[in-house]
Amino acid sequence: MKFLYKILLCTIIIMAAAFGISGYFFVNFVFESALEREVAQALDGSSILRFAFETAALNIPTKYNVLQDAAVRQIGARLESSGQNTGRCLRLSDEGRNSIYTSEGFSEDTALLQQIGPETKVWTIASHGDRYYIHTGIVVNALDRALYLETLEDVTEVFEERSMGFSVYRRVTLAMLACSGMVMLFICVWLTKPIRLLANATKRMAAGEYGYRAKRISNDELGQLTTDFNSMANVLEETIHELKEEVRAREDFIAAFAHELKTPLTAIIGYADMLRSRKLDEEKHFLSANYIYTEGKRLENMSFRLMDIIVTRREVLEVQPIEAKTLFEYLRGVFAENKEQKIRMSVQSGTVYGEPNLLKSVLVNLMDNACKASREGGMVKLSGKRMENGYAFEVRDYGVGIPEEELKKVTEAFYMVDKSRSRSRNGAGLGLALCVEILRLHGSELDIRSKVGEGTCVSFVISGHGPGAGGKGAGAEAADVEAAAAAGAEPGA
Amino acid sequence: MIKILIVDDEKPICDLIDMNLSAAGYHCRTVQDGLKAIDLIEAENFDLILLDIMLPGADGYDIMEYIRPMKIPVIFITAKHEVKDRVKGLKLGAEDYLVKPFDVVELIARVEVVLRRYNKTDSILSAGDVVVDVDARTVTKAGKQIILTNKEYGLLVLFLRNKNIALFRENLYERVWGDEYLADSRTLDLHVQRLRRKMGWEENLVAVYKVGYRLEI
Repeated sequence: MKFLYKILLCTIIIMAAAFGISGYFFVNFVFESALEREVAQALDGSSILRFAFETAALNIPTKYNVLQDAAVRQIGARLESSGQNTGRCLRLSDEGRNSIYTSEGFSEDTALLQQIGPETKVWTIASHGDRYYIHTGIVVNALDRALYLETLEDVTEVFEERSMGFSVYRRVTLAMLACSGMVMLFICVWLTKPIRLLANATKRMAAGEYGYRAKRISNDELGQLTTDFNSMANVLEETIHELKEEVRAREDFIAAFAHELKTPLTAIIGYADMLRSRKLDEEKHFLSANYIYTEGKRLENMSFRLMDIIVTRREVLEVQPIEAKTLFEYLRGVFAENKEQKIRMSVQSGTVYGEPNLLKSVLVNLMDNACKASREGGMVKLSGKRMENGYAFEVRDYGVGIPEEELKKVTEAFYMVDKSRSRSRNGAGLGLALCVEILRLHGSELDIRSKVGEGTCVSFVISGHGPGAGGKGAGAEAADVEAAAAAGAEPGA
Repeated sequence: MIKILIVDDEKPICDLIDMNLSAAGYHCRTVQDGLKAIDLIEAENFDLILLDIMLPGADGYDIMEYIRPMKIPVIFITAKHEVKDRVKGLKLGAEDYLVKPFDVVELIARVEVVLRRYNKTDSILSAGDVVVDVDARTVTKAGKQIILTNKEYGLLVLFLRNKNIALFRENLYERVWGDEYLADSRTLDLHVQRLRRKMGWEENLVAVYKVGYRLEI
């Protein structure tokens, strides 16, 4: 059952009970006070009758002051007829409580008669068929006799009024319930609107419409709930978006990986197939074998790089202070053989905190990329600067540059701006992806600025403070030692 | 002579296809860049284009759009193996779609099929003094007609189309009999022996150890 109808039904039940009970008590109260009045009247009436009877008894000529039964009957008849228009009935009984005079239609019931005592007036409500009466009893002392006088007063009207009251009240109650039910319905609809809006929002979100939000229409708890729900939805949407991004990146990675894997495989399989199934001349034989070798190397290289990335992703960094100079000296050694580009280094002393081999690998990668991008005889600048919170490395070349729309993608695995060029140098498109992972471990990131035709500048900052050294605001310490990352790993590739 | 353009950004693969197709008697040109490929297509007439999809310059789909009005048959050769990629390639009007890594024999077979569809294959195959007219289904040696059974004829055509290439037993069997090859089946060897005798190729049709047979001409 809908919440709306639950509220409505409960309210109606409660209202019906309240109306019913209060109505019952009200009608009954009116009835009882009316009845009380009637009883008082009936008792007064019976007192008057007694007086009338006693007066009449005194006026009857008697012998020895004895009241005969016949005289009693006579007086009774007279009293009855005098009150005929009021519909009064009476009964007179002797000392033995035997009836002497009884009006027509008086009940046979003598229960009340037995209760009448010398000084008491008694009364009861009696019913005959569908009529109600007040039955009173009283002792009459006339001459030598103590007679019992009973009267019957018709009070059907009071009872009828009561049942009429009930029926009127019932109708009024029903009408009231109908009206208030309608009003309640509207109130409930209004009150539960936020719930319906929320329910609708959850449904639409469940159906995949993550951007949908419930409208807040009240300031009560439900309004608060709506707000909370919406903020939860915001967080969820963000998370879902992130997850989707991640999945997309992963799918792209796998697709790129499969593609990168298939290309050398195709060559290897194809040439091997040729070698085994065909007689080739010496030149072709060598060419095929050489292709198998180089493509195999490329696969090997790629798998090493991938391993590096995977390992880097899992690795917990062992940070140690490194003299920046040692890193640059290492680089100088690695690139000493490179005569194609002029390499300039400007180095400030300092210390960085990091893993030396990983940092070396980053720098070698960046230098290698810079050399690949440069023309023969071009210049590659490597500089290290001490900063307030760390040590900045910058690799600048004046080569081909990277188009703006490709800038974001260059750090994705397998991405190559110029494939044929990069492949010819055995690149797998994994270098920058690896650098990003390593720098992420160091809490840093690559900053790449580039202009087509003018060159590229790649920089990153490594913290000059060890873990837990409380890096912030400790600018003065920077003067100490800042570790420069030395590029380690294999050259370029 | 049939001219084939090979477009692939990987030089090793270009060379691989080039070597094999050249050996099968086609004239090949290779190019590693999409834009250069379009220039070449404009400058020269090709009977068939083998096209990679991921290319520098213009990608394979773009080139396909460009080629379509020229009615040159195209076979896509790519590492993209998903059904939707294949469907996209075929819908663009490619004749066939070959996924890397591929077998050279399969490549040659597909090239042949496409060329035959375009009536560009030579209907005359020859090796030495043996001439086969594929349309007329006649085989002559030194001008003298030779009667071959269906299977022998199938084998002969296969050998002629893959001269100097060792053909694997499984491959031969599957393509001539159209059945799965059973490892111990002697049927193939019997047929090859009969073909050898009929054609007088005792020296030329050699068995390659553990592989199959090769026609050396």
